[in-house]
Amino acid sequence: MHKIAEIEIQHDIMVANKKLAKRNQRILDKSDVFAVDVLGAIGSGKTSLIETLIEKMDYKIGVIAGDVISRFDAGRFENHNVPVVGLNTGKECHLDAHLVEHAFGDLPLDDMELLFIENVGNLICPVDFDLGSHIRMVVISVSEGDDTVEKHPLIFKDADIVVINKVDIAEAVGADENKMVNDVLILNPDVVVIKSSLKTGEGIDEIIGNIENFMKE
Amino acid sequence: MHELSMADAIVKTAIEVAEKNDAQQITEVTIEIGELTLLNPEQLKFMVGVLSENTLLEEAEIIIEAIPIQINCKSCNYEGPVPSDDLDHFVPIVNCPECEGQDLEITKGRECNVKTIKIEKEDEDA
Ligand SMILES: Nc1nc2c(ncn2[C@@H]2O[C@H](COP(=O)(O)OP(=O)(O)OP(=O)(O)O)[C@@H](O)[C@H]2O)c(=O)[nH]1
Ligand SMILES: [Zn+2]
Ligand SMILES: [Zn+2]
Ligand SMILES: [Zn+2]
Ligand SMILES: [Zn+2]
Repeated sequence: MHKIAEIEIQHDIMVANKKLAKRNQRILDKSDVFAVDVLGAIGSGKTSLIETLIEKMDYKIGVIAGDVISRFDAGRFENHNVPVVGLNTGKECHLDAHLVEHAFGDLPLDDMELLFIENVGNLICPVDFDLGSHIRMVVISVSEGDDTVEKHPLIFKDADIVVINKVDIAEAVGADENKMVNDVLILNPDVVVIKSSLKTGEGIDEIIGNIENFMKE
Repeated sequence: MHELSMADAIVKTAIEVAEKNDAQQITEVTIEIGELTLLNPEQLKFMVGVLSENTLLEEAEIIIEAIPIQINCKSCNYEGPVPSDDLDHFVPIVNCPECEGQDLEITKGRECNVKTIKIEKEDEDA
């Protein structure tokens, strides 16, 4: 004879990640490290922006570089003489809190003040996965098209800073960068939106100032 | 897409609970998916099936239930569900049904929950 039983589980897989993310933030706080999760479309300029920030910001900086298979971005950061951990996600389309915790083990957290985590280039999948960072900075560029915000609203709802990059080529690609700014503000009126160009330097000081404001909070 | 990692976590959770309860087999798993999770239910079901091979879950029926979206609108204070009939699965745009606004807090619809399992075990009196 067999007995059938129904068992309540109510185990939310998303909540499990959130718990790990909270733990990550506690680890960071213990070492006084402020962490920025940098998300955005493929090729929008995440790596270039972090490279610029490493050069311009006067802090002890470390980087976690998420890549689907290559270690390409990690190699770029290593040229800047900062501690870097490359995280291969394999086939996965996003970083998660568990992977990030592994990376902590290879970073000198006690000798760091600021950590940039470059997420996998993707506007959809990373949305649901908190990493334990203190803020989320979303980087998109005009070359993805000025309907990008309308097409991927969720990622902008959870953002603290949104960077609209490559405004130097907006005209050439026929994109209206101000429409992108407005679309973000409709979805999330509290967010800081900054137009930038890594070619001309536009917006960089503003990005730095805003990250520093969050660090003081 | 991240259906694979979610499926993996779901399978592990179900098996862990089943083993704790001395199950010989799992016959049914009910998973709740928020309508805003960007998870495709069909793909998820397929992946759970694939990962279940040669486990306690092998024979189980996988039931997926949708959790409707709930919002708090910051513009007009509407609190409640949002009709999701015309939601595009990969591009969910949520508007407040009262004021059409988009400045809102999503309170439900982003979960991925292993709700219940049904197991078969040896009857102690047998
Ligand atoms: N014109 C222009 N090009 C830029 C700007 N910022 C970055 N680029 C270029 O855009 C390309 C992609 O930049 P990356 O920094 O590698 O972008 P990414 O977001 O890190 O890319 P993935 O990691 O592949 O997702 C590079 O060739 C950069 O030189 C900008 O402001 N203007
Ligand atoms: Zn990059
Ligand atoms: Zn591990
Ligand atoms: Zn995905
Ligand atoms: Zn409303």
